[in-house]
Order: sequence, then structure tokens, then C-alpha cells
Amino acid sequence: MTPPTFDAIVVGSGITGGWAAKELTELGLRTLVLEAGRPIVPERDYVEHKPPWEMPFRGLGDRRATASRQSIQSHSVSFDELSHVFWTDDVDNPYTTPADRPFYWFRARQVGGKSIIWGRQVYRWSDLDFEANLREGIAVDWPIRYKDIAPWYDHVERFIGVSGQKEGLAQLPDGEFLPPMALNCAEQYVRQRMQERFGRDRVLTIGRVANLTAPHNGRAPCHYCGPCHRGCITRSYFSSVNATLPAARATGRLTLRPFSIVKRLVYDSKKNRVTGVRIIDAQTKQEREYTARVVFLCASSLESARILLNSGVANSSGQVGRNIMDHIKWGGASGQLDGWTDRRVIGNRPNGIYVPRFRNVTSRHPDFIRGYGFQGGADRDGWEAALHAPGIGRALKVRMSELGPWSMSFAGFGEMLPREENRATLHPTLVDAWGVPSLHIDCRWSDNELAIHRDMNVAAAELLDAAGAKHIEPSTSGPSTPGGTNHEMGTARMGRDPKTSVLNDWNQTWDVPNLFVTDGAAMTSSGCQNPSLTYMALTARACHYAVEQLKRGEL
Amino acid sequence: MERRELIRWLVATAGLHGLVSLAPAELLAFGRDVHRRVTPHATRRTLTAHAEQTVTIAAERIIPGTDTPGATAAGVSDFIEKMLMDWHTLAEREHFLAGLTDLDARCRARSGRDFIDCAEADQVAVLSALDEAKQDWFARLKYLTVYGYCTSEVGARALGLFQLAGRYDGCASL
Repeated sequence: MTPPTFDAIVVGSGITGGWAAKELTELGLRTLVLEAGRPIVPERDYVEHKPPWEMPFRGLGDRRATASRQSIQSHSVSFDELSHVFWTDDVDNPYTTPADRPFYWFRARQVGGKSIIWGRQVYRWSDLDFEANLREGIAVDWPIRYKDIAPWYDHVERFIGVSGQKEGLAQLPDGEFLPPMALNCAEQYVRQRMQERFGRDRVLTIGRVANLTAPHNGRAPCHYCGPCHRGCITRSYFSSVNATLPAARATGRLTLRPFSIVKRLVYDSKKNRVTGVRIIDAQTKQEREYTARVVFLCASSLESARILLNSGVANSSGQVGRNIMDHIKWGGASGQLDGWTDRRVIGNRPNGIYVPRFRNVTSRHPDFIRGYGFQGGADRDGWEAALHAPGIGRALKVRMSELGPWSMSFAGFGEMLPREENRATLHPTLVDAWGVPSLHIDCRWSDNELAIHRDMNVAAAELLDAAGAKHIEPSTSGPSTPGGTNHEMGTARMGRDPKTSVLNDWNQTWDVPNLFVTDGAAMTSSGCQNPSLTYMALTARACHYAVEQLKRGEL
Repeated sequence: MERRELIRWLVATAGLHGLVSLAPAELLAFGRDVHRRVTPHATRRTLTAHAEQTVTIAAERIIPGTDTPGATAAGVSDFIEKMLMDWHTLAEREHFLAGLTDLDARCRARSGRDFIDCAEADQVAVLSALDEAKQDWFARLKYLTVYGYCTSEVGARALGLFQLAGRYDGCASL
């Protein structure tokens, strides 16, 4: 029998695939990374410094092309006239939902995946999160606690570079931070006024963000140009392309194959092992197989579930595709602040403020369990205010050049509970442009999420009131569409029991020992913090475990 | 171009029965012109010269040249034309063009001339009245004018927008 071509295969080159590539190659494994999309060359593909006058629609986007090819992807907050090339084509990549329950499935197929267009907010979880399911009898218990993941948070933060402010809060552990970005004058004031009214209960801090504020591991600090979702030629924010894949390449053990669409895993039932991966070349549509001793699925939560379902493996629990979670958003409020009329902001800070979760931390809220955090920030109205201002002529022209008052806004990101009925299944007939069966996604908010969403308006208004804001306007948006926060997770959850979970405490599938899933699919609950840091830490941790097991001959 | 619009255009330009009198070369040219307009996105379609002039002058009245450049110097009408032709829906474009026709009607009622031939003071008065009346087609024109100006190289330089400072200062002096 021929030996496997590679020691390891990693499916996906996004935020977790990049980490798996780096860890596995650095630990000595010859690793093949399969990426469904095209290669990315920063010098060719990054366009963050293009001014609006170099865009045909000046940043408003090609509305007709968007309507015909990217009507779903365009709902993402980081989709625009230039960054649209980093999102998939909705016609080539179809899926369905019940007619009355839309779900936005945002996908990125290129080397780097969504790590090119992610929001870069990184927050640790605490035992408030890891113990929640057990404490409240929701779904299943996480098989790990903060102490298990804390060293891996350290490990990841040291490499990616996170700027942030230590606050000493139990519910949002501090990390290994580079210097924090500055709060602007209005935000500093709001922080102070919140402290006076709420003490340590509701704290405003600068966002913890994977943008460098100092040179770090050979990458240059942020120069505050603004549109990170169009790439970063100075590699100042963390992405697979900017950091982990170059590190993996430096080992000499990385093989990266773009245009590789995974059709299914190849499973040997006699050995109960996956022996490799069958792919379709996206350009030639030719199929071929690659073999390896261990396989990591890092294809994104729903894609990894889709691969497992299409392969018919690792699903003895029946939990694959279930428990879809996202974060509910669009609750909050904004208001005007007097003062600092002689001050303005210079530069585009790729970061805002963060108010860590304060509901159900030390006291019990009557309407819901879990909670939410606020993101947001303060700034002065600029020329955009003139778009709808009254008058024409010189007066309007003056208006265009003036800065308006400072306004402060808070936008909530709320935890979603895991529920089995929120589920992705294989579509009986629909396939994508390469013939791979698509998903049918059925997901909706429960009453708990809707209660969280309502409370966001109330609490945000309280924060603005504490700051002495005027014209406080609660959000008039209804809840976001599930999937719309692009924090989808949970579709192959970790647990303590093979009967009720897909993965054990090392992200290893209970059913097939040499198969690991380390993207958002692994999440047992959703927390309210942006989840990517936890995905990365789980990935690094699982890689070290897998290599130890390989060496012991256990896989 | 959609079928309904195509038919309207054919009738408005030549009148179909007028085609019989055309020489073969003229017919070919006519056919090419029709195909050019029918093929989506193939070639840039344009406003009529009259509509283009109307938009250019109206934009200049909305953002006049002063000690800094105005809408004309910033090429705003090219942007508006691009948006009308390649971004807005046919219905939105027709609504906008009907607004331009109404603008001429208002000017003729006031001074006996189309908008582009009116005195500047009359132009300003008519546009101001539309602005105060919150006419939605005019709100669209104004939006496109302000947006096109601020996102043009000339306008952005005049206003100090979209400049890369290379740093962040959250509390800088004005």
C-alpha cells in the first residue's frame, strides 16, 4: 500500500485553516491546505488605498451586478464596491431556507477566506460562558473550561498581535495586549460618566482588535487608512494571508492548493479512519484524491458541516448541522454630545469601543438569560450630513465643509442559545456550480434572543443618559437576520458525550479518531463576544493534541 | 435597454416608418446604434444633450464655483449620468427625467425659456422652490450632486476629504 501523500490535510485557508497550517507544519507535519477559491496576492488584490474617484460607482457599488450575483453576500457590513470580490457568487453557491425564515450565509472563497474581510474584534471568553449551558440546563455542557483554553489564547494573541486595554473584568479576561488604540475625546468622556453612574458594572473600553499598534513579528503597525476589509498591504491586521500562511510556508512543509473544492472525505470503514479528501478542481472540474494521516476541517461552520453530511461520517449523534447560532444585533441607541466643537478626529481608526456584557453577570435579568456586549463609538457628522441638508448654493457648500456635533452610538451583539431545530440539512436536489449538494438552512431567533434585542435599546439609552447625551434615539431596526452577523457556529459541537455531540474536548470527532473540526462548527454555545479568537485558540490546541497522538500512533 | 424603453426610443428618434427611406449604409448604422443600446453594459449609454446640459447647470447651481471649485469643475454631471444609466432602475431614471422635463415647464412658466436658457437668478429660484417643496426627484439630483462632488478628486481635495493621515488622533485641534 502506498503511504499517504501528506501527513495532514487542512480543508480551508481562512482564520482557522491558516492556524492549523501554521501549527501542523511547525510541529513537523507535511501539510496540504485545500482552498476552494483563488490565490490571493496582496500586491495585486488588496485595494484599501483606492480613493472613491477611482471607483466607477464611487463606493456605492455596482448595484445591478450585485442584485444579479451577490444579493445575499451584499448584506454583509464589509461588502462594498471593492471588497465584493472577496465574497462568493450567490448564483454559483446556492442554498435554500424556508420562505419565511431567511438566513444570510456569508461566504468567502479565496486563500485567506473570511480572514481578509473579518471585523478583527477579538475577545476572550470566560467561565461565565463555558459554564453557562451546564448551569442553566441548556443543550450540552462544554467539555472545556477557561483554564483549558487560556494558554492557547495567550499563544494566539502573541502571534496575531492584539491591541487592547486591560480592565480586570472577570467576564472578559485580559489578554496579551499591544498598546491600546486611543479613545477620542467624546468616548473618554462617556467612559468617565459611565464609571460615575455604573462603577465596574458597565465599563466602556477601547475595542480589542487584531490590528497592530506597534511592529510585531515582522509586520508593520496600522497606519489608520480605514477600509481593512479591502486588504492591508502593510499586513498590519491579522489574516491568514498576512501572517499564518507565510509562517507555515517558511517551514518548507506547506503545500497550498487553491481552486480545490472538497467533494467529500474518503473514509475507510475497516480502519475507521478518513484516508484523505476527494476534491473537484474549480477550474477544470476534474476530480482527484489526496491522502493523509489526519484531516482538519476548517472550512467555516456551515461548510464543514456540509462536508461531513456529504461524506456521511462523524454523525452518529445526529448533531451535525444542528444548533446553528449567530449573534443577534441591530439593537442599541445613539445620541448627541455637547462640547469639543474645536476638536476633531484625524485618521480612520479601524476599531471602536466595547462595553463588555453586564446583564446576568452579577444579577439576574427577569426577561432573559445570557446577555450582550456593545460596540460603537463617537464621531462628528461630516459631509454626508449635507446629502440630505436643506438649501442649495453657497450655504449648502459651507455645510459640506463643516463638522456637525459629536454623536455617540452603541450597537449590541447578543448571545444566541443553541437549539437543535436550528438546523442545516443536505438539500435533496440542489447542487452548486460544481455539482456538490447544497444546504437547506432553517434557523430563527428564539424568545430569549428577541428579549435580548429589546433590552439593547433600553440599556444603550441608559448609557447615553449617563453621558448627558441629547436627542437620544433608540434603534428602530428590528432584529438582524440570522447569519447576518457572520458569526455562524455550532454545527458540529464539542461535548462530553458521543451520543449528544460531534467532537470531544480536543475537537476530535468522536466517531473517526483522525478527523478534527476546529472552526466555528465546534462551538457548544455562542457567548456574545466575537468568536474568532476562540476558534483560533481551539485550532492551535487541537493541532498540538493531534500531533502528540500521531506520534504515539493513536490516530 | 428594456423592450418598452427601446420601443419608446425608436419611435422618438426616427419613427419606424421613416426607416424605409434610409440608404443601406444608414440602415446599417441605425442597426448598430440599436444593438449598441440593446446590449446591456456593452457601451455607455448617454443622456440627451439637453438633459446633460440641464443636469450640469443644475448641479453647478447646487454647488457653485466660489473661491473653491464647483460641481462643473468637479465633473459631477458625468457621475450623475453614470449613475442614471448604469445604477438606477429604468423606473427611477424615467422619474428623474420627468423631473427634468418638469423643470423646463416651470422655467417656461416663469420666464418663457427652458431651464438652461433662463437667467441664473431664475434657475436658482426654481431649484430652491423644488428643494423647499422636497420634490423627490430633486432630492435625488441634490444627493447625487453632493455625493459626486465630495467623492470626486477635485471636490475631495477642496474639502480635505479621503486624505490618508497615516496616524490617529481622536482629539485633534480643528
